[in-house]
Amino acid sequence: MRSLMGPFGTIIEKNYITHDPQRSDVVIQENMAASKNAITNIPDYEYTDVNTNIFHIDSFRTEWLNRLQPGDFSFQSEDQDSSDALFAEEMGISADTMAELKTVCSLDSLRCHPEDQPPDPDVVPPDPTLNTLIQRKKKQDYRATLKISKNRHDLYADELERLTFGKKPETLDDMVAEGEIILNINVYYPAIFEKFCYVRPHITVLMMGSHTLAELRDAICCVSDLQVCGEFSNMPDMAPDFISKDHFKSAFFYFEGVFYNDMRYPECQDTSITTIEWAKDRNFPTYTQAKMEDTRFVDLKIKVGFPYLYCHQGDCEHLVIITDVRLTHKDDCLDKKLYPLLAHKHRVSTQKCAVCHVYIVRWVTTNDQFAPSNPCLFCDKCFRMLHFDTEGNKLGEFQAFPYVDRGAFN
Amino acid sequence: MPRERPIYSDFFYDPLTEDVEELLARFQQSDSIRYEYFSAAWRQMGFSDVFIGIVSMAEQKRFSRVTLATAVKYFLPPYSYQIRAGGLYLMFGLYNTQLAIPRVPIRLALGDWDIIQKFLKDSVNSGHQDVVYIYHKLVAAKAIHFTAMPHFLSFLKLRKRKQNNVCAEFIGRSMAVQELFSADILDEVSNIESQYEKLKENTVAVRCEASMTQRDFTARLKDCMAEFLTWQQKTFSQAEADNKGGGGDDEDDDEEEEDEEERDYKASSSRARLISSIKQKSYSNFQEAPKARRHRQPEKLKVESSSSGSEQHYGSGRKRRPPSLRARTWKSLGVTKDESRVQVWLLSAPEQKERVPVKRTNQTPPYKD
Ligand SMILES: [Zn+2]
Ligand SMILES: [Zn+2]
Repeated sequence: MRSLMGPFGTIIEKNYITHDPQRSDVVIQENMAASKNAITNIPDYEYTDVNTNIFHIDSFRTEWLNRLQPGDFSFQSEDQDSSDALFAEEMGISADTMAELKTVCSLDSLRCHPEDQPPDPDVVPPDPTLNTLIQRKKKQDYRATLKISKNRHDLYADELERLTFGKKPETLDDMVAEGEIILNINVYYPAIFEKFCYVRPHITVLMMGSHTLAELRDAICCVSDLQVCGEFSNMPDMAPDFISKDHFKSAFFYFEGVFYNDMRYPECQDTSITTIEWAKDRNFPTYTQAKMEDTRFVDLKIKVGFPYLYCHQGDCEHLVIITDVRLTHKDDCLDKKLYPLLAHKHRVSTQKCAVCHVYIVRWVTTNDQFAPSNPCLFCDKCFRMLHFDTEGNKLGEFQAFPYVDRGAFN
Repeated sequence: MPRERPIYSDFFYDPLTEDVEELLARFQQSDSIRYEYFSAAWRQMGFSDVFIGIVSMAEQKRFSRVTLATAVKYFLPPYSYQIRAGGLYLMFGLYNTQLAIPRVPIRLALGDWDIIQKFLKDSVNSGHQDVVYIYHKLVAAKAIHFTAMPHFLSFLKLRKRKQNNVCAEFIGRSMAVQELFSADILDEVSNIESQYEKLKENTVAVRCEASMTQRDFTARLKDCMAEFLTWQQKTFSQAEADNKGGGGDDEDDDEEEEDEEERDYKASSSRARLISSIKQKSYSNFQEAPKARRHRQPEKLKVESSSSGSEQHYGSGRKRRPPSLRARTWKSLGVTKDESRVQVWLLSAPEQKERVPVKRTNQTPPYKD
């Protein structure tokens, strides 16, 4: 076997012996191909700023852990003084020099205003010199002329962060492990409504590397899971019992040539087999199958930033993009039980009642003679007041379907 | 109703990049890598004010993320050692003065880790204690997220896919070709080549058919390298000439050598080779990728510098200067940041053996106001 890694001289020599100078090219090409195709598990761009090449998540984690000191990713806060002392010792710095270093590099060195005259953090100063501030001031002045209400996603994200920042569990068993992987996953909704044309409605879920794909599946709430619940205009009180995904369990994720099927329940069907056979017939690359519930995120080989697929109800397809993979940090939510953590949800997920505009929608009606639109969305209170008499008898003609807020997790 | 796209949702933000480049240019002008010069420029520009005037916390967070990503960009190749130190100081400054609560962490990608470690090792070896200490402080404060990639990726086309131009003035000069020149590889190649030709001549069956090699390969390679060095010399010394302001005392030797090189940039390969071998000797006690860089120390510091000037950063604070030929060439070739990284990363390393304890100068620069 010819050594591909041999030094330049070796190759030339061998080529001479084979009396085949053309081989020289071949060897070099093989050599280049070999090094190019090697999977390093160190993510790099496949397309710059868009998505990475393929890598194995657990190997990626190992690569990081091999490079870091345990203290680098531990959840313990470090004591400044003792860590400085350690630093001085490692660097062989005298106490005097260390003291000077600390003074020179103190946070005071960054203070741009006298300590007793801090600037108002909410107001751009009147005559800014930094370009960033000049632009911000322009924008702020312009915005003041408009009335832009606060972005509700932002509010949601703020609130979530406030609640989960560095949160520790009650029992140690629920503690996230140091050096665990955390993933940011966007799940996009099919653009059914016209209003979705310019934005891509999605949820962002944070998951640990030890979570399974089935746990992600359970965190995805989709209207089409609820459409099948049936029509309840004659028995609205019965509806909540039927709002569930339990009747139609089949679903799959698709990542890098593998269909991950949900096979947790006997009634689950392998819905990916159709696709696999279709592909086989047409000489596509072969796809394989695995079980969603047996596959943890660390087991996956994926590209960050690349669109994959979640398919359920037979034909409801969602793009799934893993936007970030990293080691956990002490400020992350450290309570395992709170994962999957919903970090963003699209605002369409909190629809307001068409009547009161206050409460969240619980019902969708169609062909509804009382409704201003078809279909129409109601909160529970308005729905009942408008459609039933005091004894609870149905008034007029309409169909009513339970509507569960898309972003309502648990 | 389509929503307004949130501001600061791209990886970078042009006005901020301009501010950062202005700050780094001022730092570069100080001709020092001492943190106190950086912090002086920071205060002078009132840099912590970049965070002022953002009312929404989520927007504040997005902006923090952009600022830190920008700082990290200058901390990584292809920038010169001094700019990279400035990028690190900037990471420290922005991380600590941001107004987001909790603080937005700095994202360091696995793929960049080894070159960051190399930078730190070089800094330790050169005794740049403030550089190492600032990094240490960031790690101790748990300011870092250890990530797969520098940015979040969501398969979105960025709003304006801008040419990610590298600020040419901040780049250290590539020594790779000079190093190749001075290494023994060319000798070895020509030896192998002549032996190969000899063997071929002696083998009648192959002689006529085998025509893969070029007899003048080494000479042509030398010519190519000489041409590159000439171009490099010309471009860079021009940039330097443009920028020479009041020089420090320790610059004279460098300039002599520089001028000599300049006069000779059309010189034959043997001349270039001679120079590079001299340089190799002068760097020989610095093992990896020997590069030196000139910088003037604060007056009170004992200078024990061995810089030869060949790897000095050549820019100054005048950032409105027309872009260098290199920058224009890159632009016209459509070279993106990532490609260019391959070519010029490892361009620069700190000045060796400059074990100077950090000392405070008495003139602490004033507050902005
Ligand atoms: Zn769906
Ligand atoms: Zn209502």
